[in-house]
Amino acid sequence: MKVDRGQWQMIIALLVVGVICTLLLATTNIFTRAPIAQAERQALMNALMQVLPKHENDPIRDTRNIILAGDKKPTNFYFSRNAAGTINAIAWQVTAPDGYNGSIHILMAVHPDGSINAIRVTGHKETPGLGDGITKNQSWLDSFGDKSLANANWAVKKDGGDFDQFTGATITPRAVVKAVKKGLSMYASLSAKLLSSPNKNTSEEAHAK
Amino acid sequence: MQNNANDTNSVPDLQKGEIFANGFWHNNAIFAQLLGMCPLLGVTTSAENGFWMGAATLLVLIGSNLTVSLIRGAIPANVRIPAYITIIAAFVSIVEMGMNAWMHEMYLILGLFIPLIVVNCAILGRAEAFASKNTPINSLVDALAMGSGFTFALVLLGGIRELLGQGEFFGFDIFGPSYPDVLMFILPPGAFIALGFILAGVNIINRKMKEHKDQQAVALIQAQTATAEVQP
Repeated sequence: MKVDRGQWQMIIALLVVGVICTLLLATTNIFTRAPIAQAERQALMNALMQVLPKHENDPIRDTRNIILAGDKKPTNFYFSRNAAGTINAIAWQVTAPDGYNGSIHILMAVHPDGSINAIRVTGHKETPGLGDGITKNQSWLDSFGDKSLANANWAVKKDGGDFDQFTGATITPRAVVKAVKKGLSMYASLSAKLLSSPNKNTSEEAHAK
Repeated sequence: MQNNANDTNSVPDLQKGEIFANGFWHNNAIFAQLLGMCPLLGVTTSAENGFWMGAATLLVLIGSNLTVSLIRGAIPANVRIPAYITIIAAFVSIVEMGMNAWMHEMYLILGLFIPLIVVNCAILGRAEAFASKNTPINSLVDALAMGSGFTFALVLLGGIRELLGQGEFFGFDIFGPSYPDVLMFILPPGAFIALGFILAGVNIINRKMKEHKDQQAVALIQAQTATAEVQP
């Protein structure tokens, strides 16, 4: 098949448009890469600030990756330490796969003894006005404070547990309670390993590795 | 519009004004063409979301209209649609990266709707129907008009839904704490119902404008016949 002049024109026109657009995108990528990383770091920082107690270290750098049983991707654990360098809380993200509308992502922070410091929902697609109480209902979020596997019944009240459901939305809080409980059970089996993690803010070599 | 014969000596200005009036109102992507329904109904749970969705679309429109107009002679007719889509997709990606970098929270809220601007047929429609046939300046005016008209529609629907659904406007409490939030307006059915009332309102305004114009025309003809009769 012979390519005539008109066809060459089409090929060249599309090629030029494609190359110019690609260059434009590559340039934008160069300029936005650092601000995007910074914005994501800031978002994580804001979320961590809300769940962690008062700390003297930088929890974003003081982390440990562990691949949990049954998971493919590693989970990031963020350590919060007091002035003496002792861990006063550990934060990590858990996912409730059984929300009313897809997965709910929760950032939870627990004290070394396995009781909760605070939880925050960092991502969800629940119904506005009903299920989104998991982000807006502060007293409900506060009801998780200091709860542990030992001192609470981990279910919504409708199922005979200690946690409120919302009017018109039981599935959403049920999923959150279940995911947080699972996170606590996981912590119980891993706490010795996690609590022995080195302080990366003081030992720079450990971070470099 | 152009019914005043005395204005013909200021044609360039009049045309720009006409392009803007057409894009913003008479040919509005939402009110007149009912295009771009997906972002319209999807993100307008609040006036602020609607505003930023509209602003992102406006930026893409400006970029695509200008570029398409600048290269309008160089693209063979057979491959113009793939070329336009490539250009639009590039500008959408640029806007997406920019929002991710400098408006991270809004980027997370709007989520998938930003990449979906690529398939907003209002944008390809302007490239094909206007920018490919007009000068860059006129295409820029058209993009500004279309984009701000689209933003206006999104803010209007978002504002109504936020006001009725949460008693707020742009996050400011309007109706006070005792207002019983009408949840339905935040949910998808409320978007359709509110849009229906907005379109009805737009039709009423358009009919009133047409009646007014007709009356003016009738008055003009009567005045002309009156002067004709007086003359001997």
